Amino acid sequence: MIVKALTENGVTANESVTPHPPAKRKRSGFWSSVLQQKYLYLMSLPFVIWVFIFSYVPVWGWLMAFQKYKPAKSFSEQEWVGLANFKELFQDERFYLVLRNTLAMSILGLIVGFVVPILFAVLLNELRGSIFKRTVQTVSYLPHFVSWVVVGGIVYKTLSIDGGIVNDLLIWMNVIDEPIQFMAQGKYFWGVVTAADIWKETGWNAIIYLAAITGIDKELYEAAKVDGAGRIKQMFNITLPGIRSTIMVLLIMNIGHLIGIGFEKQFQLQNNLVTDYSEVLDLYALKYGIQISRFSYGTAISMFTSVVSVILLFTANGVMKKLTKESIM
Amino acid sequence: MKSKGIKTAFTLMLLSSMLIAGCGGNNNAANNTADNTPANTGNNTETNQPADDAMDTSPFTISFFGADASPNWNNMQDDVGKAITEKTGVTLEAEYDVGSGGGDQKIAMMAASGDVPDLIFAKGSLSTLVDAGLIIDMTELIDKYAPNLKKVYGENMNRLKYSLDDQSIYQIPTNMGVGQSSFDATGGFEIQHRVLKELGYPEVKTLADYEKVLKDYVALHPETDGQPTIPLTLNADDWKIMITVTNPAFITTGAPDDGEYYVDPETYEAQLHYKRPVEKEYFRWLNGMYNQGLLDKDTFVQKDDQYKAKVASGRVLGLISQEWEYQDGENALKAAGKDEYTYAHFPVTLSDEYKDHSFMQTGIDGYGLAITTAAKDPVRIIKWLDWMSSDEGQILRTWGIEGKHYTVDADGKRVVPAEIQDRKANDVANFQKETGIGQYLIFGARYGDGVKDPTGNYYTTSFPEEIVAAYSDAEKESLAGYGATTWKDLFPKEDEFPVKETGALYNLPVPTDGQYQVIFKKTQDIIRKRIPEAILSKPGDFDKVYDAFLAELDKAGAQDMEKEFTELVKKRVSLWTGKEF
Repeated sequence: MIVKALTENGVTANESVTPHPPAKRKRSGFWSSVLQQKYLYLMSLPFVIWVFIFSYVPVWGWLMAFQKYKPAKSFSEQEWVGLANFKELFQDERFYLVLRNTLAMSILGLIVGFVVPILFAVLLNELRGSIFKRTVQTVSYLPHFVSWVVVGGIVYKTLSIDGGIVNDLLIWMNVIDEPIQFMAQGKYFWGVVTAADIWKETGWNAIIYLAAITGIDKELYEAAKVDGAGRIKQMFNITLPGIRSTIMVLLIMNIGHLIGIGFEKQFQLQNNLVTDYSEVLDLYALKYGIQISRFSYGTAISMFTSVVSVILLFTANGVMKKLTKESIM
Repeated sequence: MKSKGIKTAFTLMLLSSMLIAGCGGNNNAANNTADNTPANTGNNTETNQPADDAMDTSPFTISFFGADASPNWNNMQDDVGKAITEKTGVTLEAEYDVGSGGGDQKIAMMAASGDVPDLIFAKGSLSTLVDAGLIIDMTELIDKYAPNLKKVYGENMNRLKYSLDDQSIYQIPTNMGVGQSSFDATGGFEIQHRVLKELGYPEVKTLADYEKVLKDYVALHPETDGQPTIPLTLNADDWKIMITVTNPAFITTGAPDDGEYYVDPETYEAQLHYKRPVEKEYFRWLNGMYNQGLLDKDTFVQKDDQYKAKVASGRVLGLISQEWEYQDGENALKAAGKDEYTYAHFPVTLSDEYKDHSFMQTGIDGYGLAITTAAKDPVRIIKWLDWMSSDEGQILRTWGIEGKHYTVDADGKRVVPAEIQDRKANDVANFQKETGIGQYLIFGARYGDGVKDPTGNYYTTSFPEEIVAAYSDAEKESLAGYGATTWKDLFPKEDEFPVKETGALYNLPVPTDGQYQVIFKKTQDIIRKRIPEAILSKPGDFDKVYDAFLAELDKAGAQDMEKEFTELVKKRVSLWTGKEF
């Protein structure tokens, strides 16, 4: 969102600087615009360098995936093995299981993690009392700052069969007779992770939508009111369309991250009984790559995730462009 | 306008260069100190020159990483730490692994980056560092500069060698004492003293006995302090599953601890210990315990801290573990004065025909300290380790400071004053932080319990009188109930077994590349998933689940791995004993 705001500002700045593009500009094209916007370029230069150093230089390390890398040897001494690491990866049954878990949890997270914060933001926006509204907003995004280590502990405690509040509540409401071992059964794991994620991130994610809603012209609402639109109608015809572009941008970016969901939550919430459902790609890379010093294998896995992420991002972007004329590139 | 533009440009450039300079700052600092040190020594040549024989006590910092968590580490600001710095000039800049420890990840990253501390306690990950060429061979250093190390290890020097093919000494084993003969048992099966007292000290020898005790007591007292009593709970979080769930399978069936393997003492053939038919019977017993509701339902779900919290609540009647594993929980009980909720130890076996092998001696074979290639002055480090291994250093590490933590009476006997003894037993964490006693055990070679120094005192504070003195009244009462003075009296003794020729095989360095590690990891994944599954299955399904588990191990390549391990065992036996295969 910050990026988006910056570019928007950048665009407006451009327009104000050159209200009447001179004829010269067409001839020298790129360089003249560089000259004209030299301060903007200078200002962005440190960040370009930063991105280059931290995001592009390390890509050089991908070469490791084609080697049998041994630590403490120079680059030229490494043994080249071609695609052997990838072959092994694609032949491992565990890899497909792990890929399934990754996709399942990230798609669940994407769907729920989109609908709930938008709903929350839109409903919160309808609240009248400004103090109450602000309090709710602050309280709701506080869990974002709680580390997953702590959240893991809280989840375990809440779902415990030994005085856990969820089981106590379900028994009290006569929904179940016997407490359920939520954390011991693989089939519940994806749900538990998604629910924990909602608890932790809903408030935080809603901030962006709330900010976008504030940007909607108040006159639109007034005009709608004059035309006799109720609150529900206003919601669907003004608020939601008003934040559509924000939703699209975030959706495309999140689709790009589908496969690289990290491993913090899974790592904190898993136990030996549910590993078939909890192990995600990054955990697999950790266990079968780094932990047993197979750096090349680990690199092959992360290279796979990166390539898939880029493909997903471009596909999502292309599809959106076709369907809704909104895109981030 | 123009000048303003230039100004802006300069400001920007300045900012960027500051960023870059910020990144480079550390290097400068490092260079400065490097420049300074030789200058200093240049000035002090006269004082430093003869230090070759005497001790060099100029300030010296050793960076260190320990693969075991050490929550009570106090940056050497404790009494013993200060004394060490004062005597040797050495300050440790120590970092320890966090959480349940092990150090695997941290050390793997070190191996990859080559960024290692001077001194490292690498535990099972040592071979990763050795293969990366980051560990130096100490053979010559020990020979030249470390008379005390040589004295302590004595005839065991052969056992320090890395392997038959690479006979370098990469580490000095320091997590165990030389010549150790334990006076107390800290493992086996645990039962709370209150249980034993109420049931009139029943006989606890077999699994059936143990089960009956827990069952009888929980029937009498279904609640403890208002919460449900838990007859038995185990800790299955990460590697601790080995300590409390899988290792007891061989402990109760008369096999020594060789990690995940059982090694035939005659042929040296190794196999995953789960494949021994008798161990299946142990897991069947656990399955029975679960299905009768005696084994905590949370066992395989709870995390390390939840387990410890349960132990600390005093409502767990029985454990199957080692004292160091549940100690934090028990310490909380002691601090709260609930001694009757702490635990007694029993050598429980599957049936009368098996003997608990806990006290079978392995000889010198442990994890220890290694000096890395990053160390600028390995000689100074080895000299320091040598001082730490001297009689003076050892007594400082185990007893503390004379006049403060112990006194010497008229007969020359070291005595720990009563109030120190009390804090040591009941306020463990604070005591360790303040005094540092017990914090420096791995920093140097040491003699084990039961070895006496030239003054006729024991090197360690663990000797029969001291152990008995540290027992709480509840513990003494239970021991009296069984006619014993220490828990060890209940266990089979060292002299009932031959010394193990193979050492402790869980320490055996294994190859870090090739398929061995991958297969091992896969079998570990299977074990940690299927063993809980077998225990939680319905009694009728147990055989099916267990047999499928064994088949799955072989499918993952267990047999190849076992063959490779067998070879390694044989090589070690030839290295240590000279036997040919």
